[in-house]
Amino acid sequence: MSKKPTAFRLDDPDVLVEEAPTPKSRGKTSKPKALVAPDTELEKNLSPDETGTALAPAPEPAKRGFRWAGLFGVAFGALVSLALGLWVTELVEALFLRAQWLGWFGLGLAGLTGLALLVLVLRELIGIRRLTRVTELREAAETAAANDDMGAAKRVVARVMNLYRGDATTAKGRVELSSHAADIIDGRDRLKLAERHLLTAKDAEARGLILGAAKRVTAVTAISPRALVDIVYVFYESLRLIRRLATLYGGRPGGLGTAKLARMVLGHLALTGGVAMTDSLVQQLIGHGLAAKLSARLGEGVVNGLMTARIGLAALDVCRPLPHLERSAPALTDIMGELTTFGSADKQD
Amino acid sequence: MLSDIAEEARLAALNVADFASDLVEPTLRLGVTGLSRAGKTVFITALVHNLTRGGKLPLFSAHASGRIGRAYLRPQPDDTVPRFDYEAHLAALTGGGDIDTRHWPDSTRHISELRVTLEFESETFIGRNLGRGRVNLDIVDYPGEWLLDLSLLDLDYAGWSARAIAQSRTGARAKLAKPFHALLETLDPAGAEDETKAREAATSFTAYLRACRSERYALSALPPGRFLMPGDLEGSPALTFAPLDVEAWQSAKRGSLQAMMARRYEAYKQSVVRPFFRDHFARLDRQIVLVDLLQVLNAGPSALADLETALADILAAFRPGAKSWLSQILSRRIDRICFAATKADHLHHANHDRLEDLLAHISERAIARADFAGAETDVVALASVRATREATVKRGRDTLDCIVGVPEKGQKVGRETYDSSDEIALFPGDLPDDPRTALADPAKALMAPKGITAKEWDAYRFLRFRPPVMADETPPVLPHIRLDRALEFLLSDRLA
Repeated sequence: MSKKPTAFRLDDPDVLVEEAPTPKSRGKTSKPKALVAPDTELEKNLSPDETGTALAPAPEPAKRGFRWAGLFGVAFGALVSLALGLWVTELVEALFLRAQWLGWFGLGLAGLTGLALLVLVLRELIGIRRLTRVTELREAAETAAANDDMGAAKRVVARVMNLYRGDATTAKGRVELSSHAADIIDGRDRLKLAERHLLTAKDAEARGLILGAAKRVTAVTAISPRALVDIVYVFYESLRLIRRLATLYGGRPGGLGTAKLARMVLGHLALTGGVAMTDSLVQQLIGHGLAAKLSARLGEGVVNGLMTARIGLAALDVCRPLPHLERSAPALTDIMGELTTFGSADKQD
Repeated sequence: MLSDIAEEARLAALNVADFASDLVEPTLRLGVTGLSRAGKTVFITALVHNLTRGGKLPLFSAHASGRIGRAYLRPQPDDTVPRFDYEAHLAALTGGGDIDTRHWPDSTRHISELRVTLEFESETFIGRNLGRGRVNLDIVDYPGEWLLDLSLLDLDYAGWSARAIAQSRTGARAKLAKPFHALLETLDPAGAEDETKAREAATSFTAYLRACRSERYALSALPPGRFLMPGDLEGSPALTFAPLDVEAWQSAKRGSLQAMMARRYEAYKQSVVRPFFRDHFARLDRQIVLVDLLQVLNAGPSALADLETALADILAAFRPGAKSWLSQILSRRIDRICFAATKADHLHHANHDRLEDLLAHISERAIARADFAGAETDVVALASVRATREATVKRGRDTLDCIVGVPEKGQKVGRETYDSSDEIALFPGDLPDDPRTALADPAKALMAPKGITAKEWDAYRFLRFRPPVMADETPPVLPHIRLDRALEFLLSDRLA
């Protein structure tokens, strides 16, 4: 099985020495260590949903059979496109009949519309691809961390570096990280390093974004005259938060991308909501109870704010290219503490 | 029995004193041990060097986040223990200005100590405002053989004799112990006591122990350890005894050879083993056990089996366990133990996981014991000083993961002898995926190339590389592999 040891002189003409081998899988996957956990301290103190390793990133699409609705959509869409095409053609022809220059003008407008549409579609596609790439990256990182696989971790880190290539805020982190490129570092540890150097600043900013959105929702709910206004505002603020988080972590989704992302976040919430519920329900009741005693509207505001925060946290899990390894993911309790102090301070005025 | 209680009381008193001084000057005692040639000296030198020079330790979180403001050497607390000669060892490693004279430091043969003080900023609010922001790291270096002596504390002379003799008749030891066995035939335990006979027996026994330890055999379980490193006790009666062919239950007649030996054995325990246990060992907080697994693999199955016994024995002597407030005052416990396979730079990194698996497998009993007692354990493949680089060599259709380094002068590989300036690429072989395969047949774990005689193969397997030239960075520091991971495990919670 094992290959035999051999020695070479470096000036041997038969051999070609490449320094700093490029990471190649070579089919040697390291096994998970059965006897010793790679990071016992971390794992002992944290439940799996806190480490983020146990979180399922996105709901998998359910397998389904033939869908008539799908067929309808496709066929109807095709019909509408045909109708549109026909309409544009007829319009331009009609314009040409009216006057030559009007015809050319209409044709130009049609061309511009087509071009703009093409660019829009392309941008959406790129946005969605970037989004799926981030998801794939996180899944790969989770596997590499779980197996403590050196080669896989190195590849993941290289991809994350590539993702942030154009992001000037990570320049210092990238330089520091690449200074360790040639060192021998275990898989999980390398991912932690990448997390520390590339994502620390982004995590702080993300926390600020979530907190800000939650506070705004709380305030708006507390003073809004109608329930409908709350609902619309929560919806708007959540979407904006999701989009900004994705942009922060390098997802940069467009409109369709945001819709997809929102679906992923909702799926993630559905998966983890139950778990998160139980561990923070008690504190939530206390926080809520106190605020509610002071004012019923403020209590509602805090609840809405917490909901926004929860959506934000789920979005953070979905958008982050690496799982939370070094520190635990920010929990609802962190945000809640600040929200309720905000609530009581607000009331004292 | 009574002496045991008295001993425990003394220990508790010492620990209370330690605890009191800890309140003023927080101290962490780190025990560094390993069987001979495991790389203790190099490990400590590299550790201190990296800490004080601000080395590249990305995974040692307190260091990487810049919370350690200053790390410097301070006079050690124990005035009677030799100081670890850090400066001389570092000068040896780096050549002390003349890069061409760099060499591995000579191994130390006695206990030594060094204090490094770390000034740090705590991460916690309480730590920042109430803590001292400073911790003394006392590094205690002692030969692993002394640890094996601790197992003698529970054995009387007859019991130890029976065990030592039985052990000397197994495996590779039987051949090495032949002269001693021959002498043993002539000794009558019940005969009259005789100084000359006792000295002959002790000399012969020591010779056997020394032969066991040689690089070729690399056997580990060799108590009493002081026979190999006598120090100032050389020639004293406490070191002039040997096991006799007696049954474990056999008691000695007054004035017999056995009675004399038994008396000296007890004296050895009283004057050598117990003070070591009391003054050094029982006061450790953290422990790192260094093992040169590659050498043991090369030496064959008896060495591996021996190492496993030795590691289990070593851990039996530890007092591992979780800390509680009371135990912290009355009895120190080692709450973190790191097992480290050293000289990992002699393998390509693709094999490091396998090396760790192998060490974890060998120290399974020891780890289980420590875990049960509540101590944390970690297994790391490390190189305190990385003497090689990595490269891939394309040979024909094969791509080999090689290491590149400068062999020491006069080292032979295959049919070539190298002088000390040639850099060579070496394919060190692959460890098997499953540690049990390596254990079943260690000789095959790293196989010999074709067309090389056994003698050449020996030289080849024990190929030693010269220390590296320091990286051209500011400040220049010694490169390492996973030293930071070991440090993180051993120290980080006290620097939180």
